[in-house]
Amino acid sequence: MTSTQPLTAGTSSEGGAAPLAIEVSGLTKVYSDGTRAVDNISFSVKEGEVFGMLGPNGAGKTTTIKMITTLARLTVGSVRVFGVDVTASPQDVRQMLGFVPQAISVDGDLTGYENLLIFAKLFFVDHEQRKKRIQEALDYFGLADRANDLVKHYSGGMMRRLEIAQALVNRPRLLFLDEPSIGLDPYSRRQVIEQIKELNREFGTTIFVTTHDMSEADELCQRLAIMNLGKLAIMGEPAELKKSVGGDVLTVKLTGPMASELPATLGSVVSADEGTIKILTADGERAIPRITDYFEGSGAVVESVSLNRPTLDDVFMK
Amino acid sequence: MNNIQRVASSAMTIAEMEARKIRHDSTELWMRCVQPALWLLIFGEVFNSIRSLPTGGFSYIQFITPGVLAQSVLFVAIFYGITIVWERDVGLLTKLLSTPSPRISVVVGKALAAGVRGIFQGIMIFALALVIGVNIRFDPLDVLGVFVVVVLFAMCFASLSMTLASFLKTRDRMMGIGQAITIPLFFGSNAIYPVSMMPQWLQYVSAYNPLTYVVDAMRSMLLTGDYSGLPLDIAALLAATVLFVLSASILLKRLIE
Repeated sequence: MTSTQPLTAGTSSEGGAAPLAIEVSGLTKVYSDGTRAVDNISFSVKEGEVFGMLGPNGAGKTTTIKMITTLARLTVGSVRVFGVDVTASPQDVRQMLGFVPQAISVDGDLTGYENLLIFAKLFFVDHEQRKKRIQEALDYFGLADRANDLVKHYSGGMMRRLEIAQALVNRPRLLFLDEPSIGLDPYSRRQVIEQIKELNREFGTTIFVTTHDMSEADELCQRLAIMNLGKLAIMGEPAELKKSVGGDVLTVKLTGPMASELPATLGSVVSADEGTIKILTADGERAIPRITDYFEGSGAVVESVSLNRPTLDDVFMK
Repeated sequence: MNNIQRVASSAMTIAEMEARKIRHDSTELWMRCVQPALWLLIFGEVFNSIRSLPTGGFSYIQFITPGVLAQSVLFVAIFYGITIVWERDVGLLTKLLSTPSPRISVVVGKALAAGVRGIFQGIMIFALALVIGVNIRFDPLDVLGVFVVVVLFAMCFASLSMTLASFLKTRDRMMGIGQAITIPLFFGSNAIYPVSMMPQWLQYVSAYNPLTYVVDAMRSMLLTGDYSGLPLDIAALLAATVLFVLSASILLKRLIE
């Protein structure tokens, strides 16, 4: 039996309010050219949470991450990471973090092992622990058999996994992933997402992820914030956000007489044309038989009914 | 670990990173020996036969050997600004700066790596000098002294180059400024002709040219054995190195903002 060591240093909180991993208040970034990239945002991330930040390109997500990870100076406001102020003690903050940037940035001219070794050293991982942690990270991400190959010969998915492994040799309490699945094929993407979920589940690592892929955010995150034009547009649990869009949409195809209005108990008509009618309703699955009965009762033949649940895309577009 | 130990440890790690890359692929290192070899073998040999330059009793090829060494180290070092911009472009710099390692250690580490490349240039030029029979003083202490000057000089210009990179921010501009710095420094120094041959205005310029002091220091150790100017040469070089390392460390974050 080998004992499995956690890959990260997440700690479980015993009762009471979970300590905050990130506390952001009144955060603002104004670049020297006057651009307000981030405009007075406040939010917090609980320890052990997977927190997602969504938004279109240029919304200010990466700038926000840069300020929390001490890579960019904040203009106004305050950021605390596990209670430590980022402006006052940036090195202490960085010691607790793992950061996986947007672009793949492992060093292609070094081997996988060397990439991990260099970062273990830069994070001041003890000499005795270094080898063990590197080996564990390589095993965990399925890179052990290619550890001594130059990284430029790796596939995109392998590079991404190595990149996350690199952040984990530090056993971070808080892991930042900036667009982690960008540019990956569906299979590699799935692998990366599963591994992120597992990190959170098994080791309690707090994870802050940015993405503009709604399905990914929906699957990965316990809480989401949507950012637009430097401001937080909305924040909450994925289900809550979807509910805010207003329910399910049924698309009914039928021939025969078409009703342009429905009894309010069934739902409201969004659009109706040429034998297709779209109905907005609170609980789509239960509404299907009743709506079918209603139309057939009025002499139409229902050909098909399809149900669309709101996605985060709808939240996003709103 | 206290802060100084952390800086030292991280700087060594950054330098190790470069050393490991060179070990995987050393092509660039060898290619960089071509230019100094041409200076010695062609330029040096041709002008050696003229014997009309006031080279202080030394043959012309003896005279330019320290100059060619200094020039080749300068060319290696000035390249580091481009490297750091490239590393910024591929995201590597951001990741280095997201570690708890102090920022100055990234600069010192890169500068040390430039020093290591400089030493390699030195070894190749000394080897070539031996092969073609250039008579220079191969006293171990002098050679060691030359390597100290090489490392300092490489660190100085690598840091200057990184300082400039934090203002210029793109590879294209850095290529341009690299040329614009190295060529005037080279021709405005005593590397390939004595200062006394220069027109008066260039002599003034040359007196403020750091390359002149570096060549002077190397020449005193490799040729004349007259060390009287050495303390000033090294003190000036050390001061400039500290200044540029500090400026690059403070300004480096401009690259990622």
